[in-house]
Amino acid sequence: MSRNIIPIGPQHPALHEPEHFQIIVEGETVVDVKPRIGYVHRGIEKALENRTYIQGAFLVERVCGICSNAHQCTFMMAAEEAGGIEVSEKAQFIRTIVAELERIHSHLLWLGAAGLEIGFETLFMYVWRDREVVMDLLEAISGNRVNYAMNILGGVRRDISPELADKIRKGLDYLEERTNYYKKLCLEESTIHKRTEDIGVLDPVTGVKLGAVGPTIRASGVKFDVRKNDPHLKYDEADFELITWDTCDTFGRVVVRVLETIESIKIIRWCLDHMPKKGDIMPEKLIRRVPEGEAYSRFEAQRGELVYYLKSNGTDKPYRVKIRTPTMANILSLAEILKGCYIADVPIALASIDPCFSCEDRVTFVDIEKGKTWTWTREELRKYSREFNEREKRW
Amino acid sequence: MGLLSRLIKWARIKSPWILHLNTGGCNACDIEVLATLMPRFDVERFGIILMGSPRHADVLVCTGPITKQMKPRFRKLYEQVPDPKFVMAVGNCACTGGVFKGCYGIEGGIDTAIPVDIYVPGCPPKPEAIIDGVAKLLAKLQNL
Amino acid sequence: MSRKKKESKNEEKLLEELKAALGPQVEEAYIKRPRRIHLKVKPGAHRKAIEYMRDNWDLWHVSTITGVDLGENIEVIFHLWSFKEPQTAIMVRTMVPKANPKLETITDILPSSNFYEREVHDLLGVVFEGHPNLERIILPEDWPKGIYPLRKDWQPAQQGEE
Repeated sequence: MSRNIIPIGPQHPALHEPEHFQIIVEGETVVDVKPRIGYVHRGIEKALENRTYIQGAFLVERVCGICSNAHQCTFMMAAEEAGGIEVSEKAQFIRTIVAELERIHSHLLWLGAAGLEIGFETLFMYVWRDREVVMDLLEAISGNRVNYAMNILGGVRRDISPELADKIRKGLDYLEERTNYYKKLCLEESTIHKRTEDIGVLDPVTGVKLGAVGPTIRASGVKFDVRKNDPHLKYDEADFELITWDTCDTFGRVVVRVLETIESIKIIRWCLDHMPKKGDIMPEKLIRRVPEGEAYSRFEAQRGELVYYLKSNGTDKPYRVKIRTPTMANILSLAEILKGCYIADVPIALASIDPCFSCEDRVTFVDIEKGKTWTWTREELRKYSREFNEREKRW
Repeated sequence: MGLLSRLIKWARIKSPWILHLNTGGCNACDIEVLATLMPRFDVERFGIILMGSPRHADVLVCTGPITKQMKPRFRKLYEQVPDPKFVMAVGNCACTGGVFKGCYGIEGGIDTAIPVDIYVPGCPPKPEAIIDGVAKLLAKLQNL
Repeated sequence: MSRKKKESKNEEKLLEELKAALGPQVEEAYIKRPRRIHLKVKPGAHRKAIEYMRDNWDLWHVSTITGVDLGENIEVIFHLWSFKEPQTAIMVRTMVPKANPKLETITDILPSSNFYEREVHDLLGVVFEGHPNLERIILPEDWPKGIYPLRKDWQPAQQGEE
């Protein structure tokens, strides 16, 4: 009888970081997975209760460095809704632009990391080189490559001038060309097909029951995208498609993310064309206190549905902030995704939900037939995966 | 200093192998460390390679604040790295605990668990700053 | 009928049905704004409400479960999202006394609530009766039992930190 414990390793949702897996195998095939989380519990929700909204905005950004703007935006949206604080049109546009630029940066980062997992290091290098264009644009807008600190209560801190808008357009032209190349690559390159097709299958009914979100569930054909279902910022007006794919496997997740990058480029162009040229981007006086209230804000972060619940009590500190990050929602589905995989496919199947791994995580294998237990680092697992695939001539 | 020691020292300076450890940060510093290995900054031309195992590393590049849970495991990892080893703390959290100071899950910076040779502050430090830190570390190695 | 109008009609319909199904166990029920339904029920009635939504509106998605320390009581809020009809967020909330924070689990109704209940248990001490394995999930292994960090009467300084 196999046990069902899955230690989960590093992620960087609100309170969780390193992940640790116990994968139960029979021969080469995974039969069960046990996650265990909690290695990097930092106590952020408690810390937010003891800090002002302004201090909290900086802390909340560092819940996750890759989705930092998503966190800050959602936190601000929750505080603004709780307190009835208005945000100007122009600020909404700027928030949308930064959110979508961050989505492009994160999806390209993931594509490179996925390339690394399947041994396609050239893809890793190419994609991260192109990603530097997005980092430059974000640095031009906000002053920093990562952790932009763009949002304050009631608006944003920096404006996008017409010259900057032209610079963004030029960068987007380059990115569009490159992303179309990657789209062609993913759809036609046999290496990627052989390593990702029919691997890590998650059928839509199970996925929905287990609470999967983001590209993970969209690759199973489920139309779950907070930008379309529960529009916030400028998403109800912007012109873009909800991307789904129906193969339910890792290949589907690769394709969904690449196609979403193309949609993000469309959204940013739409925003730049429709953004009011004049207008305030922040309230006249810095808002420190949020009137009493509560709010529940949802955001489509790069990895899926990001949810904040905030209760304010009229002071300059929130009474309660609850953060639920998308990777936390995808963990239960991970067991289903990994079942039936070969050990050699574990790295890419694991990476396909886009968890925020650190390079620290360890994977423990338990072979129930032979009664063997062994632990590998991520690098050892990757190496094994490459050798297995060469041996089995799966290219 | 004998010929063999001079040779080893030269090899260490010309090609330090690094192990990247995240002890619970937000991953912003990690992606900037990885960005230094990418074509735009390309520290691999200086002989720096990212290794996967602590047994192969010369330099430990650490990011993130140390959480209580991670501290004993982190010390164990540090002991697995063969001497002589050097530790680089990248990012404000690795230096002092950064923005998480005062949170109940956090011990503090990396130096609450292991001795640190180079501190690279920033949140996150730009890849140029990380490369500067590496260059200063290599200069320090030269003078050993 | 425009999409927005259709959605709001369906939201009202859902709310009326829930009020009818739960009767006197409903303490508060209102639509705060489009796509945000609030439902406050007596402890124990939350199961009936959630089961009703699953069986009649095909609602399976739990976004999260929040616990809020309100002094004498702990408020437990189940944040649900219905992405079929109506596309709306429903917050089912109930109160448990802090002195005896017990609440029935919903993991048998909606499996995706598993980890969220464990988290609320870990951080606030609410015991979800019937949960398959209500173990420690995010606090460090050596965290002392009985200390719930998100309760208002606990501050980090008490642990000897800064």
